Amino acid sequence: MKFITTNFLKCPIKTCDVSNDNYPLQYNGEKCELQQENIEYKPEFLIKILDRLDWEAVLSVAQDLGNTSLPSNKPQILDDGVEKDAILRDLHTLLLQTNIVEGEMKCKNCGHVYYIKNSIPNLLLPPHLA
Amino acid sequence: MLATPLYNCDYDRVYEPAEDSFLLLDSLESELSFLRSIFEKDNYFPIILEIGCGSGIVTTFLHQHAIPTNKGLYLPVDINPWAIDATLQTIKKNPPTKDLQTTTIVDPLLMDLVAGLKSNSVDLLVFNPPYVPAEAVPNLPPGTNDEGWLDLALLGGEDGLVVTNKLLNNLHNILSPKGVAYILFCARNKPQEIQLRMEGHGWKVDLIEKRKAGWEVLSVYKFQKIKTNF
Ligand SMILES: C[S@@+](CC[C@H](N)C(=O)[O-])C[C@H]1O[C@@H](n2cnc3c(N)ncnc32)[C@H](O)[C@@H]1O
Ligand SMILES: [Zn+2]
Repeated sequence: MKFITTNFLKCPIKTCDVSNDNYPLQYNGEKCELQQENIEYKPEFLIKILDRLDWEAVLSVAQDLGNTSLPSNKPQILDDGVEKDAILRDLHTLLLQTNIVEGEMKCKNCGHVYYIKNSIPNLLLPPHLA
Repeated sequence: MLATPLYNCDYDRVYEPAEDSFLLLDSLESELSFLRSIFEKDNYFPIILEIGCGSGIVTTFLHQHAIPTNKGLYLPVDINPWAIDATLQTIKKNPPTKDLQTTTIVDPLLMDLVAGLKSNSVDLLVFNPPYVPAEAVPNLPPGTNDEGWLDLALLGGEDGLVVTNKLLNNLHNILSPKGVAYILFCARNKPQEIQLRMEGHGWKVDLIEKRKAGWEVLSVYKFQKIKTNF
């Protein structure tokens, strides 16, 4: 799955909904295998994508995966400066082009581990938890 | 008329597109200008969720024809791993044409309904559920290679509504403020009663298409949150 999708996934276990630790999931940086896929860069869309994202969760997952270079506040609407363009290009690479091909992620509340195989996250629960 | 995607899967394990699938495609096509009017504005980046994607025909149709707009994150979901594989292949077989200039991501998820999805994120939701009345909703087959995946595609428990009702009762937690849902019913689901019930809970509900298919009468309804101004 693409990095952007991590921004929409929480622990599927109902009882974890009352906790604030069920989102985002915690990605195991050592187990996650990343691949870059080419997608056309469109800065005007990227700004709109940022509107839809929880920046704290972007930072958290980026850090799990070893990227600590993001600004601590969500980049704001831009005056097409070169510097801003550099940030947007980095975000394009991270959010849209980075694919987690294999890996695992854990709920910070209950500790349950979910797996990503062949780029597909498996959020199904064993019968006793469903 | 918009082209129907090419598809080809193992129909012993994945639901074969049928009248219900095609009615849903026709409904979404007839809603095209409505959907564009909401989502084309301001370069909005929508989240599109299809529950129970099966062969992938519906998500692929949306993606291929830039519905609701030429950008967005498409999340097709199924509990059947074979359906996820089939969906990936159907998507690959039917890329959007260059002139649509799309910027889209398609990420299929193995998941039960919306269990692992952050709340109030979905802008367009589409669901062709297991709607056939039955004793009970079947359990997941114990292993991927076991039989029983097709039963899960069809059998919807009491009134054929057990799975659909789970979703409807939680719809206010699923849709974004702009959110729209299209859900397919058969006559034995008594969709008019559902319409009244949902309207009573503050939803705007519209019948989009209705069609006789063999001995079934299938229909597609649209659900939107009524905006309240406090
Ligand atoms: C009637 S088929 C529709 C398939 C496809 N969307 C189409 O229109 O041809 C229903 C699909 O829902 C899936 N399904 C059943 N229960 C589900 C659940 N709880 N969560 C996610 N998917 C489910 C089945 O595996 C099946 O693929
Ligand atoms: Zn949890």
